[in-house]
This record gives sequence, structure tokens and C-alpha cells, in this order.
Amino acid sequence: MEEQLYIPGAASINLIKMKTTIEKNFQVDEPIDKVWEYLSDPARIVTCVPGASLTDTIDEDNYKGEVSLKFGPVKAKYNGQITFQERDKENYRMQLLGKGLDSKGKGSADMLMNGILVEKDGQTDVTCTMEVTITGMLAQFGSRLINDVSGSVFDQFVDNFRAKLAGQEVDNTLSAGSVIKGMFGKK
Amino acid sequence: MGHSIKRKEDVRFIQGKGHYVDDIQLPGMLHMDIVRSPYAYAKIKSINTEEALKIPGVIAVVTGRDLEKYNLHWMPTLMSDTQMVLPTDTVMYQAQEVAAVIATDRYAARDGKEAVMVEYEPMKPVIDPYKALDPEAPVLRTDKEGKKDNHIWHWEVGDRDATEKLFSEAEVVVREQMHIPRIHVASIETCGCVADYDKVNNHLTMYMTTQAPHAIRTVIALVAGHVGLTEEKVRVVSPDIGGGFGGKVPVYPGYVIAIAVSFLVGKPVKWVEDRSENLQADSFARDYHITAEMAGTKDGKILGTRFKILADHGYTDAAANPSKFPTGMFSIGTGSYDYQTAFMEADAVYTNKPPGGVAYRCSFRVTEAVHAIERITDRFAFEIGKDPAELRMQNFIKKEDFPWKSPTGWEYDSGDYHAGLKKAMEAVGYEELRKEQAGKRKRGELMGIGISTFTEIVGAGPSKDFDILGIKMFDSAEIRVHPTGKAIARFGTKSQGQGHETTYAQIIAEELGIPAEHIQVEEGDTDTAPYGLGTYASRSTPTAGAAAAVAARKLRDKARKIAAYLLEVSEDDLEWEPGKFFVKGAPEKAKTIQEIVFAAYTNHPQGMEAGFEATHYYDPPNLTFPSGAYICVVDIDKDTGEIKVRRFVAIDDCGNIINPMIVQGQVHGGLTQGIAPAMYEELIYDEDGNILNGTFMDYLVPTAVESPNWETGHTVTPSPHHPIGAKGVGESPTVGAPPAIANAIVDALSPYGITHLDIPITPYKVWKALREKGVN
Repeated sequence: MEEQLYIPGAASINLIKMKTTIEKNFQVDEPIDKVWEYLSDPARIVTCVPGASLTDTIDEDNYKGEVSLKFGPVKAKYNGQITFQERDKENYRMQLLGKGLDSKGKGSADMLMNGILVEKDGQTDVTCTMEVTITGMLAQFGSRLINDVSGSVFDQFVDNFRAKLAGQEVDNTLSAGSVIKGMFGKK
Repeated sequence: MGHSIKRKEDVRFIQGKGHYVDDIQLPGMLHMDIVRSPYAYAKIKSINTEEALKIPGVIAVVTGRDLEKYNLHWMPTLMSDTQMVLPTDTVMYQAQEVAAVIATDRYAARDGKEAVMVEYEPMKPVIDPYKALDPEAPVLRTDKEGKKDNHIWHWEVGDRDATEKLFSEAEVVVREQMHIPRIHVASIETCGCVADYDKVNNHLTMYMTTQAPHAIRTVIALVAGHVGLTEEKVRVVSPDIGGGFGGKVPVYPGYVIAIAVSFLVGKPVKWVEDRSENLQADSFARDYHITAEMAGTKDGKILGTRFKILADHGYTDAAANPSKFPTGMFSIGTGSYDYQTAFMEADAVYTNKPPGGVAYRCSFRVTEAVHAIERITDRFAFEIGKDPAELRMQNFIKKEDFPWKSPTGWEYDSGDYHAGLKKAMEAVGYEELRKEQAGKRKRGELMGIGISTFTEIVGAGPSKDFDILGIKMFDSAEIRVHPTGKAIARFGTKSQGQGHETTYAQIIAEELGIPAEHIQVEEGDTDTAPYGLGTYASRSTPTAGAAAAVAARKLRDKARKIAAYLLEVSEDDLEWEPGKFFVKGAPEKAKTIQEIVFAAYTNHPQGMEAGFEATHYYDPPNLTFPSGAYICVVDIDKDTGEIKVRRFVAIDDCGNIINPMIVQGQVHGGLTQGIAPAMYEELIYDEDGNILNGTFMDYLVPTAVESPNWETGHTVTPSPHHPIGAKGVGESPTVGAPPAIANAIVDALSPYGITHLDIPITPYKVWKALREKGVN
């Protein structure tokens, strides 16, 4: 680079982050070990994620799966890998990384989920954070919706997870209708 | 001249009979659609075309690997950088072309596009232009041997040391950091072409949306000469164009792919972008980050300016500037003010964004320059507590000081800035408005008055300095008058809605006395029109318009000889009045231009060349320097941040006016495209390089609803060097309006200590700025 190169005073520009971070805390009336068993079992947890399914097991920590989403006219089906980056039974902490590529090459979605369980008077306190990053077509069309939609998807996940713990059947199909309705408060 | 005759071209436009590229239908024509990248930066692992090729009607999918075989996968840009036609390994911005689907109809092509499976390996893109310069930033242009950073070029002008000294000693120094946002021309018609290669005759006809058909023909011949497409085998036709604004100057990959496919399959290939492709992938405009500084005295004398620019060019420098001017005419940024110390420098960087930097209704970066100088002038006035109108009047270059040499090397041809601002102030009722504002401020209401008194630089340009890819920036006119006294005139320029068919006819009518309605104007077909560099940057009237006047004068000289012969007098005994020569002192002895032209074909003097036609290639001796004084009045809702433009007065000085109605139309359109970046438009990217407003649902183009009532007027200071004293007007309002609006909004907010807001200034930005200053 030439010596006279001038780097103006401002260090950087403000870029919008197409990343959504959601944190949820909820209690379930179940013992901590049972909650942990469900939370750390890919077969159970993935089926609580709206629109998601497991397709293959690579090894104990790595799985293949897919997630379908629909935002109005935009349909996306992500094929990807789910990795348990952390499964610490001692401290009841887990971290799950999902990396998906749109099956038609139209973009990608990444999700990093952290779960921490704490025992409280026989109940279990669950703290979940979810970080969603979306690239491609969906990010373009749905930029203003991503926050709300992610929040709504997460709410459904929590509902499904509670239901699963209670031994109920879970329907995790996701429709645009449910997402949109959730966003506009017609629950 | 000076008459508002109705536009000749409107007869077909208002009846829906315009003929655009997408109206062209040729026998056996194929259609092309383009697969685009969802990522801003990614490696291409594979492209699977199997499913696409199964779709009925799809006949081929072209990838970078296919073009590589013919060495057509890269092409040069107008700035001598390189640009991918189709990538072989890496995509560099979201919406970049990845593959082209060729089909027998447009629907099949679109279905084929959806079925092409591309496997990518996404990489972390460089989006922030400042971070592009970090030593640890990834080097984006690994295709360039030895490239170790993302820096493209450095440019500077003026006296660095003298400016530094001035700033270290000056009584008052003001400084603002500003961003001129990345925007898009968003013309009604998107880009497209029909490439028609005739294998038997080895001849290519390229119908395309281009503002510069002749230059394109030369570029095609230079790039494809090695496969047999030499320049005489190439014809470029630019039919009616639905708005260009600079966006139809560059050569886009789609054109090149269409030519390559037509060449290979021997059939015509049509490619027309959809709206989102146009907005997301075609050349952007502006995107300058500017640190602007002004130095002066406490009593208001401007002494100097200093501008530092960081230019975000996207992944290649595909700007459309004259070769020697990487920042275009930014050096006009010393403005309308009389001082002699200035320094400007710029650095351009690569990022993972679309390439561009087109002259969007702007003579090459003049909009950026004018915004910087007019904003910082207001900032200076605010600092010393002086009325911005008074400050400008104090510092304007005086009428009698023209021609005036600017500290960055230009010679301003003429101007009367005091008269322009005075007229604008009277028209808007400046004194009254300031009184009203004082009253409102006492009541806590927000009202602002903003001024912009800009100097433009157009008509590129004199051949000693101006060329594009080596071709000098002259322009041309050829006038052919038929025996019955009716004419056809052809030009190297190309109208995209400017009304050339009318104004050129008026210039010739003025010079030759043939009624404008009997002069047919043609442009855009390289087989018939004389060579020229095209229409952009308000250059048509200053160059081709001048060529028309000079060619017409050549014909008048010939007419004088014929008239002398017919009237049996000496040439010196003849006098001209528009339409005829008559003998001095005997006006009844006269020959009309029609009689003279008829004689040129039927009874011309022996020894004289028969016929009546002339051509002129006009090489302007200088640029022209139009100016304007704009005043904007805004009212702002303190609770919501909503901005209402109450008044907008625009006084333009474009020299002598050819058609006042067309000028007014240009000013109305230009002002609307000026309010656009000031309040609405900006292409926004997130940190992953996703464009967040890639459709007209999110990218806000102002409509009639947003447009205030434009109050226009003019002063006339003819250009001393232009044959008819005209200067050009197309871009003045687009250049001059944004700072007038920004200055008005900042003026309204100034009681709260707000000194600057970056455009586009949205209600949210205003609301947020007020809250930050403690207004609730």
C-alpha cells in the first residue's frame, strides 16, 4: 500500500447485523436430569424445532438434518449439519450449532443455541439463547421479519419442548400462517 | 431557440409507440436468464446443470468455465480494471452473475435458472470500506498477481502544504464526516439487449440499452476482434431508452454473455433484467465517505477547504469516469467561492459489493463534491453565527472575475452567483421566512431553511485532458439537407428521454432557418450516425449541440456562396437573416434557404461540390460551468421526526436556453432525483453483504406523492466559448438539491446543537438525533 494512504478518522461504518439473538428463560415442573436427557438428545430436541427433522447420524456429536421455512412467497429448505459443541452433564450446559445451506443454493442459515439448566426447588430452570444468522434470498426479502419470525419460532420451540417433556405428541410442522399470526398477536 | 415547442418524440411516447429493446422480436430468438449468487463472497464448489437441462425449452447453461475456453470470462472495465463476465472459482458480491440459462422462451429460461444447483463455500466478506484497509483484511483480488491489499488507487489535487499551514493557523476551522450514500439510478427501463450474430455474413447486430453506442462498438471490436468480430462487422443499435442516468454507460456481463452465446449458436439471444436484478447487480452511484473541512475568519471570509475521501468501489473499479480522472470532476468541490487554498485526496478500496461508481445524473462525482462544499459552508456559517445566505454573498466569485481559475485547476467560464441567489431569496421570501423561523423557535417548533449555491462542471470534454479508454471525448453532428429543403441530422449522442429530437432540431433551425418540424433527428445506430462518445454527464448540448451549430454554420457558408451565384452579387454584399440571404440595401433581392438548397442539387455553381451536407466533430475548448441557487424550506414534527418540504425554489443558470419547457422538465425530474438520496434512497448492506433493500418495496424511490411543488426559474449567463452560449442543465438539479434539503433539515435542528446528519435524512434519523440531544 502506498505511503500516502490516508485512513480517515472514523474507524468503521455502522453495519446492520443480520444476526438475531434471543434469550428465553422458563421453568418446567420436571426433575433436572429428565430435562437434561431430553435437551441433550438430538432425536428429541430437533423434533421440537419448528420445521426441522433429523435425516442422518454421523456420530454421537454430529447429525444431518433439514429445516423448512416459509416467509410469505419465499420458501427455503436448509440441509445442514447439527453439531453438539458442548454437552456438559456435570454443569448441565450444552451448545448446539446448526449450519444449513439452502437446498437450491439460494443462501444459508446458521443457528447457535446455548442451554443451561439449574435446579430450583425440585423444578428446573431453563435458560436458552439462540443466535440466528441468515444469508441470501431470505435475508433480503425477510430482513424486517427475521427478528419477529425467529422469536416466534423460538416460542414454538419452547412450547413444543414443554409438551414433549409432558409426554404429549408434538407437531413441529411450520407454516407461514402460524408465524405470521404469531407476529400479529392473533395467538 | 428559446421557444417551448412541444417535444417531437412525445408523439410516439404518449401513444405507447416507443420502441425499446424488449419490443424487439427476431425470428428464432432465444432467451437468457441469469443465475445469481446468494453470497457476497464464496467459493464455487460445483455447478450442477443436469436438472435445468431437463426442463423443456432449456437448451444450454453457460458457466464461467465455458467462457474461459474463449478467454471471455473476464472483461476490462472503463477504468482499466478487470471484471468477471462469469466466475470460474469465486463470487465477489451478492447477486453476481454465476451462470446463464439459454432457452426458447423467457419462462423456460426462468424455470431453468431456478433448477441450476450451485454448491458454494461461503467466506467472510469485506463490507466495511474502512476495514478493507486493515492489514488483516483478506485480500479480495487474488486474481491480480502480487496484490497485497484492497487499495485500488490514491488521487490528490491542490496544495497539500499550503492547505495544512492555513488550517493550522486559521481563526475558524470546521470539520464534518459525511457519507454520500450508495444509491441506484433505478431507471424505469432495466438493462437488456438482443445480440444477433449472423454466421453467414459474420456480422453482429447488437441492440442494447446503451447511452454510448459508438464506444460500445469499439469495445466489442477490441475484445472480440480475435474471434473475427472486427469493427466493420459490428453494428450497435440503441433504440428508445427508458431512462439512463449513467446506469446505461457500463458494459454489464449480461451483454457479453448474450453476444458470446449468439456467436456460438448463430441465433439471436435476448436478455432483459428484472427489477431486482437491475437494482442489486447493476452499477451503483456515489458511496463516498468524505471528511470535509473549511477554514476561514471569524467575520466570515472563507480561506480554504480540505476534503479526504474513502471511495467504496465494490469488487472492481467499474466507475464510468474519463480515464485521467479517477474521482471524476470531484475537484469542482471548491465551489462557488473565492479562495485559493485547497487540497483534496481520495483512496479507493475493494469490498464485496457490486461494482460501479457511475455518473448518476451527474458529471462524474460532482454530486459528492457539491454536497461536501455546500454542507461544510453551512457548517462554517453556523460556527461563526452568520446567516448562510449572507456568508455566501460575501464569498461568491464576482461576475467580473470570470474567467476564474480555481485552486484545483479549472477555469470557470462564466457565472453570476450573486444574481442567482438574490433571485432565489426574493422568490422564496427569505427575510420573511427567517422572521417566521425566529418566532417558531421561541415556541419550540422546528422549521429550517437550507441553501445550496452550486457550481457545476459539464460538457466533457476538451481532448487534451478527456478520453474514455483512449477515445477523445468530442462529439459529432452530421446534417444532410434534401433537395426540397428538409433535413435529416444524425449525432454521436443518444437521448434517453432528454428530448434531443427536439432541441437539436431547434439549434439547426436557429442556424439555418429550416423549421424544426422539418428536421429529423436520428441517434443510436452506429451504421448511420457519426462517431461520438454518447449522452451522459450533461454533455450532449455542450458537445453535440455545439457540433450541430458549427455544422449548420458550415452549411450557411456554402449557402452564402450559392446565394451569391444565384443573385449574381459578391458574397460580401449578402446579409443573413434566419431563413434567407438578401442583398444589402435591397431586401427584395433574396434567396430563401430552401431555394438555395434546391440549387445545390439542380443548379450549383460550376466547380462547387454538389449536394448540401456537413459534418462536424466538436472538440470543446473548455468545459461549461452551469450554476444554481436553490432554497428549501422544511417543517419538522418534533415528536415523530417527520420532515415536510414546504417550499423548494430552484434558480438555474444554464446559459442560453434552447427550449424552456424541456429545461423545466429536466429540472423537475432532476430535483425529484435530488430529493431521493436526501430523504429516501440508500442501498443498505448488512455485515454479511446481504442487500437489505433489493426491491422497490424497500428501496424507496420518490413518487409524485413525495415530490413537493417545485418552484423553478432561471438567470442567464451565456457560456463565452460555446457556439450558442448554452451550458447544459440535465444534472444541475440532481447535484444541487440534496445539500439544500440537508441544510434545511440541519438548520431546523441546529438550536439543539445538531451540526450534521448524513443523507438520506429519514424521520427516524431526525427523531433519534433529537432524542440524543435530550429532546423528548
